[in-house]
Amino acid sequence: MKGQAGRPPLWSYWVVLPSFVLLWGLIAWLLQSPLLPTPLNVLDTLIRESATGELWHHLGATLGRVVVAFILAMIIGTAIGIVMGRSPTTNALFDPLLVLLLNLPALVTIILMYVWFGLVEVAAVMAVVINKVPNVAVTVREGARSLDYRLEEMATVYEFTRWQRLREVWVPQLFPYLMAATRGGLALIWKIVLVVELLGRSSGVGFQLHMAFQVFDVAAILAYSLAFIAVVQLIELAILQPLERRSSRWRQPEAAHA
Amino acid sequence: MLELRIAGRDFGQPVLGEVFATIERGDRICLLGPSGIGKTTLLNAIAGLDKSVPDEAVIGRDKLRVGYLFQEHRLLPWRSLDANLKLVGASDQEAESLLEQVGLSGYGHYLPDQLSLGMARRAALARCLAVKPDLLLLDEPFASLDPVMAGELKTLIAGILDSCPKMAMICVTHDGGDAEILANRLWYLDGKPARLQWDDALAEPGLVDGLLGRLRDLALPGS
Repeated sequence: MKGQAGRPPLWSYWVVLPSFVLLWGLIAWLLQSPLLPTPLNVLDTLIRESATGELWHHLGATLGRVVVAFILAMIIGTAIGIVMGRSPTTNALFDPLLVLLLNLPALVTIILMYVWFGLVEVAAVMAVVINKVPNVAVTVREGARSLDYRLEEMATVYEFTRWQRLREVWVPQLFPYLMAATRGGLALIWKIVLVVELLGRSSGVGFQLHMAFQVFDVAAILAYSLAFIAVVQLIELAILQPLERRSSRWRQPEAAHA
Repeated sequence: MLELRIAGRDFGQPVLGEVFATIERGDRICLLGPSGIGKTTLLNAIAGLDKSVPDEAVIGRDKLRVGYLFQEHRLLPWRSLDANLKLVGASDQEAESLLEQVGLSGYGHYLPDQLSLGMARRAALARCLAVKPDLLLLDEPFASLDPVMAGELKTLIAGILDSCPKMAMICVTHDGGDAEILANRLWYLDGKPARLQWDDALAEPGLVDGLLGRLRDLALPGS
């Protein structure tokens, strides 16, 4: 592998972000304005909100919606992507609809869902799912198109059941595409969930941002944002990266063997 | 056991012409012919992999278990050899003894891509045997192996054929010498579109070379 030889030194990851925080602190200290709190102010707010339990309540509400919407979007999007990738006719039938949905602004879906179904949880989650499904479908469709026909033939000769074919032949080949959809999905979904909460829910990080916005409480806005970014990073480090390492082990036979 | 009534196969232009033949249990057919003539196409049609060849063209296949040794190993690269064998129905013990039979005992936990070409092909052969096939299809089993490995594999396959007298085999090859060792029947595919020019039982050694020599002397249409 070429990239391995040119791996950057470890410290290089720890330069820009800390410098940015320092710069932010410096400017905030110079301005002395409530509209730009210092990093310490934000940390203070974070600790206070966390102590009252408010932070955890809203973080949990948002995380719950993200998880439910994410799982639904991945299942529905993967199914659509596989069918469209394997059947040219189905693809031709539904491709225009997919293009339309891909270009539909998230805000429009959210408003329509709330208008048609009321300010309820189901409408909120459905709005997020509808926004995400086309992205997953397009990514997985790409993978389904590139499935190795030689393994398909092998599975036909050896009479694999549908389930075996899906689990043993398709999913391992689709895995990189599913991971790409997951990565992109998590980032997109939690941002949409915040908008959904801001517009029509009375819990969650989005709701709290809405409240803070009304009183120009910038420290609270930053505290809640940072808290959720941390949660998403934690998911990436604790779940996605280990999953990816485990499932791509077979690609480096010498490493797996050692 | 199996009756072929293949009307032909086009890939834009006709490749395979009409192919009529019957295959009986114990038939060991070597399918010879110039490269690119459609030998693999015929093998795929027999295996049921060619969707444009109707099922009625290969009478009796639905009752048969087929083992197909492709040119590439086509084992699932993300599964160990053991898991690959178990996926087609082998038990733990069967998987172990099959690997032993093909000279790969102790390699059960290896991934296919950790093996050399010759080993991977033998592992794929073990998978063919795991389905306890009535019909064994071999697509150029000795291609791109060095002479020593090819010789070992030939001995191995000959041994397997001897121990399964009721199994039929069709082996695609370029080499008349393979037919001497493995076959009791010879198919020769040639022409445009390709047809079976010769379907003959091989009774005595030395016959293959004679047949091939005579075929070369014949001016075959389109060749």
